[in-house]
Amino acid sequence: MSQSLSVPTSRQRTAAGQAAMSDRWFSILLVVPAMVVILVFALLPLAYALDVSFRFADLTRGRIGDFVGLDNYRTVLHDKAFWDSAWVTVKFTLSAVFLEMVLGIAIAFLIHGATVGKGVIRSLMILPLATSAAVTGLFWRYLYDTQFGLINYFLGLIGLPEPNWLGDYTIALWSVILFDVWQWTPFVALIALAGLQALPKEPFEAAELDGASTFRILRTLTFPMLKPVLFLVLVLRTIDSVRLYDAVAVLTRGGPGTVTETMTFYLYRTGLKLFRMDYASTMAIFFLYAMLVASLFALRPLLTQFSSRASEG
Amino acid sequence: MLQRDSSFAREALRYGLIVLVLGFIVFPIAWMIITSFKPPEDVMVSPPRFLFTPTLENYVHAIYDKNFLFYIKNTLFISVTSTVIVIIAGSLAAYSFARYNVGDGHLLFFILSTKMFPAIAVILPYFLIFRDVGKTGVGRFLGIGLDQPGALIISYTVFNLPFAIWLLVSFFQDIPRELEHSARLDGLSRLQVLAKVVCPLAAPGIAVTGVFTLIFSWNEFLFAYILTRKVASTVTVGVESFFTLQGILWGPVAAAATISVLPMLVFVLAMQRYMVRGLTFGAVRG
Repeated sequence: MSQSLSVPTSRQRTAAGQAAMSDRWFSILLVVPAMVVILVFALLPLAYALDVSFRFADLTRGRIGDFVGLDNYRTVLHDKAFWDSAWVTVKFTLSAVFLEMVLGIAIAFLIHGATVGKGVIRSLMILPLATSAAVTGLFWRYLYDTQFGLINYFLGLIGLPEPNWLGDYTIALWSVILFDVWQWTPFVALIALAGLQALPKEPFEAAELDGASTFRILRTLTFPMLKPVLFLVLVLRTIDSVRLYDAVAVLTRGGPGTVTETMTFYLYRTGLKLFRMDYASTMAIFFLYAMLVASLFALRPLLTQFSSRASEG
Repeated sequence: MLQRDSSFAREALRYGLIVLVLGFIVFPIAWMIITSFKPPEDVMVSPPRFLFTPTLENYVHAIYDKNFLFYIKNTLFISVTSTVIVIIAGSLAAYSFARYNVGDGHLLFFILSTKMFPAIAVILPYFLIFRDVGKTGVGRFLGIGLDQPGALIISYTVFNLPFAIWLLVSFFQDIPRELEHSARLDGLSRLQVLAKVVCPLAAPGIAVTGVFTLIFSWNEFLFAYILTRKVASTVTVGVESFFTLQGILWGPVAAAATISVLPMLVFVLAMQRYMVRGLTFGAVRG
């Protein structure tokens, strides 16, 4: 991968040296436009947020104010609502990602064994991924509606209780989770299915000849070989769930009370409803730091593994 | 015979479960499309009605009374412009990463880590910066500012560029480099090689990346919601305009939602072969 196009030979050292030099400049020139965009519009705002996090900034009282040191950090760490929202985020992420992984993998196995209609099945599975959570999420409110909703109608038909999906304190978070599961389980299933289909055939045939049980094959062959793919899906889903915003915004707006208020939604409310840019920026810095650490330690090794394997193959 | 029976039962069970799963997945979208064709008196009823005379009333309401095509037009302009910028800047960078390994992988991972930024963390600075820039002459001239298309174009470009670069790198890596070698030996310059040899070969990959970027921009909600009010609002925000004091008009909402979701459904179906690859940043080449 690290080799450039022109390979220097000993006979033409100077000419090749120049060519290599110019390769280097050419390659740098190519990345300049993208890097400028990213540095200016991603890092500059970050520096701005970092700066605001050390200042007093209540926009209802005018402009960004004086330097206050670590005050905002202290306030945020002692803010019960912040920790509550962190807890909601953790609950949401653990439940949603767990359900999506388990169901997704099960569905992948189900489809993998199917003999006909795989194309159609896959096409239908993709549909939720094409829709915007903000748009379909809004429509799910109609499905959840206690009066006109289809979900409670079906539950009523089979004699089950008809909950107040979005209004009940104990259920609201689960309703958001259910929506997320609806949208993202197909994502897990599709990728797990691709992983299953890419498995080599020989070890499985050999194991079957040896008379190994299905369970044993799954435990010693299938899952170990699928592990990299599944772990990648897990990490991608976790990162996305932690930043959940759209579904909460259209389904519950954090309510009832604050039982579905995730960190992103609390941050939004603090910054753009209460206009406390200082606390909000401080939370953003915390949040960003956590995500950066996570992607550095979980995602980077994973993707390196995949891309190096791809370049070998 | 016995074995065939049991395998038949197994297959029946399998397809039964698959139908159940697909039913759960497709039904909300199907019900949305069905609701969009219902006459108003059949939408807000309990129990829900399954038989009705289809009508285009909701579409008429969404398009003429609520001017929903305005949001479509905005969204189209913003997402297409941003996609073009992403593809041009992204392809150049991705080619450089795939062939010359600029930055020994560190730069590529730095780019990926910006993708991991929660959008909400930069939205406050964006809000403040665009608010201030929008008041200057340059900002007004370029349409960069709160409730201006430029603000969203910039946001979507920044947030889609890392993804696009990663996906494009995987496509560029698939192109055999021998072709480039021989083109170079034939006397083509590096830029000519890129334009005449690499780009045609990478065209399908570039198209796939473009469609993904378009879908992400089209469906984006957070930036659109916070950075726009009226002039530059996109479909995801537009659907919310159906909230009225009397409640939500579910018929027109369903119609507007269907209009805004349908183009993306078509796109996604057209390139389902590449979905897995796209969704994993090019890591899984299913």
